[in-house]
Amino acid sequence: MDRPASDRFWNPYLAGVALGLVLLSSFLVMGKGLGASGAANRVGVAALDVVAPAHVDAHPYFASLKHEGRGFFDDWLVFEVLGVFLGGVVAAYSAGRLRVGLLKGPRASTGARVAAALAGGVLMGVAARMARGCTSGQALTGGAVLSAGAWIFMLAVFGGGYAAAYFVRRLWT
Amino acid sequence: MIATFFPFDSLVTGAREVGLIGAVVIGFAFGFVLERAGFGRASKLTAQFYLTDMTVLKVMFGAIVTAMTGLVLASGLGLVDLQSVSEGIASPTFVWPMLVGGLLLGVGFIVSGYCPGTSAVSTASGNLDGLLTFAGVIIGSVLYGEVQPLLHGFHVSGDLGPLFLYQVLGVPAPVLALGVALMAMGAFLGAERLERVFSAKRAGLPAPAVGPTPARRIAFATFSGVAALGLVTLAFPGRPSAGEAATRALPITASELAQRVIEAPWKVRVIDVRDEAACLAARVPGSACVPLAKLGEAGLEAATDGRALVLVADGDLAEVPAAARAYRGDVMALAGGYAAWKREAPTTPAAAAAPAPTGAGKAAPARPKKKGGGCS
Repeated sequence: MDRPASDRFWNPYLAGVALGLVLLSSFLVMGKGLGASGAANRVGVAALDVVAPAHVDAHPYFASLKHEGRGFFDDWLVFEVLGVFLGGVVAAYSAGRLRVGLLKGPRASTGARVAAALAGGVLMGVAARMARGCTSGQALTGGAVLSAGAWIFMLAVFGGGYAAAYFVRRLWT
Repeated sequence: MIATFFPFDSLVTGAREVGLIGAVVIGFAFGFVLERAGFGRASKLTAQFYLTDMTVLKVMFGAIVTAMTGLVLASGLGLVDLQSVSEGIASPTFVWPMLVGGLLLGVGFIVSGYCPGTSAVSTASGNLDGLLTFAGVIIGSVLYGEVQPLLHGFHVSGDLGPLFLYQVLGVPAPVLALGVALMAMGAFLGAERLERVFSAKRAGLPAPAVGPTPARRIAFATFSGVAALGLVTLAFPGRPSAGEAATRALPITASELAQRVIEAPWKVRVIDVRDEAACLAARVPGSACVPLAKLGEAGLEAATDGRALVLVADGDLAEVPAAARAYRGDVMALAGGYAAWKREAPTTPAAAAAPAPTGAGKAAPARPKKKGGGCS
C-alpha cells in the first residue's frame, strides 16, 4: 500500500457485510430500517415552523409532523441520523480524516463545486420525498426486504446517475 | 410468533425513549461503517459512475445481501415473521413517483457527489460540500412538501400497496434471496473487471485489488452460506416459508374488520365459510362465499399478494382450517362469526348492494397515511 493512512478504507466487501449486519440488527431488534432524508425533512419543516407556524398548521402533511407524537423530533429517523453524524465524526477522527475542507474534482472550480453541491442536494431532497425515501431508506432498507418499489427506485437511481455522469464529468474527472 | 424483539413502533412513554437511544446507537454504527467504507468522500462515491471504483455497488449490494439473507434465515427459523417485519419497514409501492424519484435522485447524486445519508457522513468528516448537500436535501424536502398537494395524482400513481418481489415472481422468499445473492456476486466480479479496464485508462489512479482476495472469499462464503441455510429452512416440516401461522387463528373483532374493509379493502381477503345459502343471503361486503368443505379448492396456498386472510364462520373459529394453513400471510378469524358482524358492524350503503364475490377490488380510494415507511 503506497497510499497514506488517511486514504485507506475498509475492504468494500467486508464493509458491505458490516453494513448489512447493522441493517439486520435494526430489522430484528427494532423492527425499523435505516434512513437519512426523512430526518432532513423533519428538520426542514421544523425550521419552517419557526418562521411561519401558521403556514405549517395549514398544510395537512406538515401539520401531521408537528402534532403527531411529541413534535417534529420525536421520530426514529431523527435520532438515527443524529447517530450517523456522531458515528461519522468518531470514524473520521480515529482514521485521521477529520478536517475542514471542500472536496472537489481536479478540474472543478470552487464556485462550481459549491453550486453543484447545493443544487444536487435540493434535487435529491425533492426526489427522496417523491419516492418515499432515499438511497438509505428506500434502496438499501427497502431493497433488503425485497420491496418491489424499492428495487424500481434503486435501478432508477443507478440509471439516472449513469445517464447524467457524462454531462457533469468536469466536476469529477 | 413475534414481529421483532423490541419493536420500536409499539413502544410508549418511557420505553420509547429507550428506543430512541437505540436509534442513536444503530445510526452511530451506520455512520461509522459508511465513513470507514470511504463514503464521506465525493470522489469515492462518484467514481462509481465513471467505472473507476465500484465501491458503492459492492458495499450497497453486499449490505443488501447480508441483511436480506439474514432476515430470510431468521424468518425460516421461526424467530420473526418475514411478512410483518417487511411491511413495517418498507413503504408501499408507488410505481411512478418511485421511478421518477429514483431517476432524479441519481442525477442529484452525480451532481452533488453524495446521496442524502453520505452527505451527513461527509459533513461529519468536516467537508463543507457535504454540509451544502445536506442543507440542499433539507430545502428540497420542504419544497416538495409545498408542491405535493398540487401534484397529488402523480404522488400516489401506480399504487400497488405493500408489494414484495417474491410475491411478484411467485417464488418462496428463500429461493429469491439465493437468486439475488448469486446475481450480486456475479455483479461484483463484473465490477472488478470494469474497474481494471477503466482505471488503466486513467493515469494516476491506484490499481484496484485483483483476484480472489481473502476479504472477497470471506464475504462470498458468508453470502452463499447464509442464503443456502435460508433455503434449507424451506424443508422444515410444517413451516411453509413466511406464513408459519401455526393452527390458531388470530381473532379480529367485527369493528376492526369493518374498519379494514372500508379503509383498506385491498389489504384483506375475506372468505365466508358458512354454508352457501346463508352466505349468499347476507355477508361481509367484499367477501367471497367458499363453504368450509370447498376451501381446499380456493387455491389459498398459491396466493402471493400478501393480503391478510379473514375467515368468517357462523361463530368463533378456533383453528385455522387445514386448507388455509399454507396461506402466505396472516390468517384471522372473525371473533363471534357472522352473528357478531350483524350485531356490531356498521352497515354501509355499499355493503348491502355489493355483489363482489371474489374479494377486494383494485380500486384504491384515499388510504390512511402510513407513517414511517422506509426512509420517510
